[in-house]
Amino acid sequence: MAISDLRGLFAEQSLTFLAEIPYVYHCHHYNLFHDQTIDDALGEAEGLRVRTTAAHNAFRELLGAVFEKSGATTPAERINLASEVFAWMGQGKLSLSVSPGGGGARSASLHYGYAWREKYGSRVKRVEPADAVAAGFAAAATELAFDLPANAMSVVEHKCLAARDAECEFALTPATIHAAKPAIDEAIVRRHVVPAVRGLDEDRIVQISNGLLEFMRGVAGDERGLVAAFNVFVAAHLPGYYNETVYEAVHRVERTMADSVPAIEALMREAGQVCVFSTFGNVLLSPEWEGLVGPPTGVPTDVMSFCTAIARGLGFGHWLIAEYQPHKRLVIQCTSTYEVPFYRSRYGLAKKPRSYFVQGAALAMMVLAESVQWTERPQLTNNYYVELFRSQPRYRVEQTKCLMRGDAMSELVVEAL
Amino acid sequence: MMDRYIEEAVAEIPQLIGVFLTAMPDSLLFSSWVREGTEWSAEDVAAYFGDLVRANRQGLKALGSWSSEMQVTIESAESLVVLRELSSDFVCGCVFERSAPLGMVRLHLKRLLERVGQALPEVQPEDRPRGTRIMEFLDRYAPDPHAVTLRVSLRAGISLEELKAPAQLSPEQIRRLEESACKILGVNQLSL
Repeated sequence: MAISDLRGLFAEQSLTFLAEIPYVYHCHHYNLFHDQTIDDALGEAEGLRVRTTAAHNAFRELLGAVFEKSGATTPAERINLASEVFAWMGQGKLSLSVSPGGGGARSASLHYGYAWREKYGSRVKRVEPADAVAAGFAAAATELAFDLPANAMSVVEHKCLAARDAECEFALTPATIHAAKPAIDEAIVRRHVVPAVRGLDEDRIVQISNGLLEFMRGVAGDERGLVAAFNVFVAAHLPGYYNETVYEAVHRVERTMADSVPAIEALMREAGQVCVFSTFGNVLLSPEWEGLVGPPTGVPTDVMSFCTAIARGLGFGHWLIAEYQPHKRLVIQCTSTYEVPFYRSRYGLAKKPRSYFVQGAALAMMVLAESVQWTERPQLTNNYYVELFRSQPRYRVEQTKCLMRGDAMSELVVEAL
Repeated sequence: MMDRYIEEAVAEIPQLIGVFLTAMPDSLLFSSWVREGTEWSAEDVAAYFGDLVRANRQGLKALGSWSSEMQVTIESAESLVVLRELSSDFVCGCVFERSAPLGMVRLHLKRLLERVGQALPEVQPEDRPRGTRIMEFLDRYAPDPHAVTLRVSLRAGISLEELKAPAQLSPEQIRRLEESACKILGVNQLSL
């Protein structure tokens, strides 16, 4: 069975699945910023532990489902298939050499380490490894290949491209076993959405997002196991990873460093901004987009509709434009997001709105629609990002409703300051 | 006043692209001139040049071979950069076209530095608060400058409100701020 045949789509809610486990697409700018924020909050050692654990859990869910659906039963079959899935996702090409007693893994091209070196390598000297996601994947793949219980394997990345080593290398050793939490699969996701409603420009958004979903069906890792598209490295990724790391870090800060809550929430929002600027922006400027929709018009209402369609096309959920007054106010609503099922299943009802990613994304959509001269095809550089978000007009975002809190839907209001 | 002095001094040097006078120890732009049509941020260039000379000075001192006559020459693909300490308070950075012969550059430079040096004022450098200097350093070198205040706030456990006045931070907060800045920049110590 081909990996692409394992894909599923909850079309009404723009949610995507692989072997019934949710997945989304994010670019390396977002992924690196996300991981950096976790380490800023928890410190390098604890950040690495939390990120590796989250990846381990998320890939156990995915690979367990993939092996079952594809009928992979032997260790060799499972190890091969796991590596293929990882490369197909754009996470990199990882060679596993493992047994029930542990072993090793290596790679010259992993999404995180490779992209970190490309983006920051000439400016920052890094000593800590960057590939918690690959580490967690390697541990999960080894356990499942040999039918070992959850968390039977512990993993350490001892060489990393980001730390200027020639390759990334991992050592796997037996560990203390802990019980696994139940998987967040499609059935659970379906329990945490509300019926989709139509927003402004709905017909056009549906048409474009369907086109983008179809385009993304053809996206897979190259010979390095990486996806270089839209001027960025894109990776199919597991919401379980993002959600566990974000909410574990935020909850920890809330418990132990209450004064720092505004900073971590702002950084999580900033990650959403980074995503929209880098991924959505580069999609809008890409030849692929031009083939799908046409050349950029620079009309703010077009940009807003396009961004909403991109969010749906990447599997972020059913986002809709409830209200848009150029230069003044934007109201984005969501009947589903990839954050809600995880939060509600793991933590119950939230006491306050917690869709940090969508908060930052909504604000960035306003800025992209209002302040970027799309017809001039600007280079979306780091300097331009800084200039754009520091310049006038400036906006603020407030989440007024949140599915995680038990509201009827999620709602983000962006207003000019 | 100083800008006019530099303008007169560079008038006869056709291969010169820019001159930057940096006030030390804070690496702040004091004065500059750039050829018409050049779009450089004089503040940024002056700050980087100042930091470069400081790092060079420390490196040479570590080797036991520092002298006040020290000069840094950088030959890049498109330009020839010469940095010189005029006094303990000022650094002058000159950017020439790459094709300029080194002998001519030295000759022009000697005359130029003499004229500029004569016009420099006597200064009493203030010892600016370390917290302010750390935040300025981060703003110049952090990989994500848009997020750096949030990042150090979270890492150092210093509230965003307190970071608005870095000069007012306590010694313990300064220690944590500096430690966080080193982590963010991937260095063992800050060259301030």
